[in-house]
Amino acid sequence: MDQTPIINFCKDLGCCYACCLRYLGLKNPKVFENCRKYVLEILENGQPKKNDRDSAEKSEIMKKDENAEEPVNKKMKMNDTCVSCMGLLQEESWPNYFQALDVTRKGYETDTFACGLSAPMTTLLREKAVILRLCNQFTEYDATILTPLKEAWKWTFGVQMAKVIGKSLDSGAVSPLLITLNMEYPDDLQELEILKTLSPSLFELRSKQKKRFTVEFTRRSVEEALTDLSLEALQGVDGWKDGLPAVEKHVKCVSVVSVHTPMYLGGRYIKLSRELPQTPWMVNGVRMMDSSVQEIIFDPIARMNLIEPADVEHRLKFMSAGREDVDVRCLGQGRPFAVEITDPRKQLSPEELKTICKEISKTGKVIVKDLIYVTKVDLTELKKGEETKCKTYEALCIKLSHSEYDHIVNPDSKPKVTENDIERINSYSNTSPSDEARIVLKQKTPVRVLHRRPLLTRQRRIYELIAKELPDHPQLFTLVIKTEAGTYIKEWVHGDLGRTRPHLGEAIKAKVDILALDVASVHLQWPLVNNKN
Amino acid sequence: MAFNILDSIPDIDNFKSYTDRYFSKRYILDVDGVKNNDIMIMFHSNRIALLSLAPSHYFFKKNDDYTINFTIGNIDRLSNTVKGKGKKGGQYLTPKSVICKIEYCDGTSYAVPSCMKGTLVEINEELVNNPALLKKLPDSDGFIAIILASIAVSEATKSELLAHDEYLKKLNSQNSDGKKD
Ligand SMILES: [Zn+2]
Repeated sequence: MDQTPIINFCKDLGCCYACCLRYLGLKNPKVFENCRKYVLEILENGQPKKNDRDSAEKSEIMKKDENAEEPVNKKMKMNDTCVSCMGLLQEESWPNYFQALDVTRKGYETDTFACGLSAPMTTLLREKAVILRLCNQFTEYDATILTPLKEAWKWTFGVQMAKVIGKSLDSGAVSPLLITLNMEYPDDLQELEILKTLSPSLFELRSKQKKRFTVEFTRRSVEEALTDLSLEALQGVDGWKDGLPAVEKHVKCVSVVSVHTPMYLGGRYIKLSRELPQTPWMVNGVRMMDSSVQEIIFDPIARMNLIEPADVEHRLKFMSAGREDVDVRCLGQGRPFAVEITDPRKQLSPEELKTICKEISKTGKVIVKDLIYVTKVDLTELKKGEETKCKTYEALCIKLSHSEYDHIVNPDSKPKVTENDIERINSYSNTSPSDEARIVLKQKTPVRVLHRRPLLTRQRRIYELIAKELPDHPQLFTLVIKTEAGTYIKEWVHGDLGRTRPHLGEAIKAKVDILALDVASVHLQWPLVNNKN
Repeated sequence: MAFNILDSIPDIDNFKSYTDRYFSKRYILDVDGVKNNDIMIMFHSNRIALLSLAPSHYFFKKNDDYTINFTIGNIDRLSNTVKGKGKKGGQYLTPKSVICKIEYCDGTSYAVPSCMKGTLVEINEELVNNPALLKKLPDSDGFIAIILASIAVSEATKSELLAHDEYLKKLNSQNSDGKKD
């Protein structure tokens, strides 16, 4: 349909140039970079207008067009605040908004940004009022073509904002940095009051359920109230009969919220201490140990990212492929982990990452050899690994009673690990030879965690079990065990009051116990090798 | 850098058993006024409690064959089930609740009360087929039941009952009293 009458209609209502283009449904960002010029071009090539005021303006513009680069005349007639966007899309309002931009404070290094807007809710009401009038005036007008305020905001304000903050504007899907301006109109709620008369049932319900709705007007409740609004009903309200009420006060930018999408560091940690929990160990709000793997790793990462100690707790998040007990070391290549950095300001250089690793390792309790940036998608691998991976452990065990297989001369003599014991353990199996598992266990939830976990019996598989004598320690032996994730190794060795069956003692018909346990290997490829970073 | 599990060999001469590492033992003597009807409750540091018989219980002096019966009136302790972290649905126990009866061929029997308030979490089912465990390993694989109480109840019970050294003292004085008779 012809664009000219729509533009004229919108202008007569008091819309700005940008809003005229929005109601035309234009979606080309370039067009919005010079709204005024584009609107006037349409008017130029379309039907001449009857209104004297407009023709005067038109001739003024024609003159201007001769040197199009010249800045827009600030004293043009249409500098009254737009009744639809309430000035948000009008250059005259922007200097105040630019002043509110203080994003350099957080020191983001990224070159791009996406531009967000939280507009006063009454812009929804005003938009609806314009649409109702357009539909009434032009029967063929399609209300769905309206270009959203947020889009026009990006294409108009956003482009200028880019120059002010020295970053290039990009879409929210591409740029990791989102800068949102929160706008408030002082009379927002008063203006929305009319919805209570227009849609009484909705708001009566909401006020009755005050517990559920602490705020009467939300974006959603306003949208809901506007859905079935008719022009007749709206025109019955004071101030809305012949058009839209003028915008009496300035819309103010009350805050600017900038947030960078999280970044993730991936690595593997080696834990050398038997007095170090993986994460802070709290019992009834009291710390049980001074430190933790998490805190040791967080410390230099926070410093490099300029995160204040008080903010570490909510800015950094620790994730890992499982965990080990406080008194269990994690050796070999270490355990896969990742750290999520919320609202990061910069990407660390490979040198900085090396420094972080050095600082961690300096503690002598935890070693991290490499750290690299990983993607959010990679993290699923880490989580998946938690269930599917298998682990190899090394355990130091003690034989506490004579084996029923042994012929003992003196029952009071100290039990000794015999060659037979070693052979029996190394050949022990309760599965068929074709089974990839050598031993299948049934473990009840260990007594040591039963107070906080459900009582269940879990079936777990042992793939490898190799015992070795220790010539210098006749009562001791070592054990290398490769098991399915979730196997409780300590309980497999001592039996947990007979609640893990079979247990190691059954292989040699003697009482055995565990003295120390190390994780030797977590069989999971991490961080993924194909990572671009 | 190589780390070896042999870095971690503890002092074996002072090695504590599984039970002594994690549990502290409490005793109650002459339960229900029956002489040497002595019960032992072992409290894990996480407040899980194991019910068993104290070494001074007359059960350990009698050598006749016995069975352990977990049906108490119309309550079947073996059908106890618990759900979730909160152990919902577990049988509620008062100190007087009988957990099992030890029955001899000659028709005599005696009841083992729980001696504490709490939720029955688990019965040692192994005792049904292998009742000898109770005699052989009363403070480990021969435990009778696992009971979970609130922190408050668990702490109160712990302080009410006799600690290990008090128990030994009391036994000694009982023995010397016996000699005087
Ligand atoms: Zn506008």
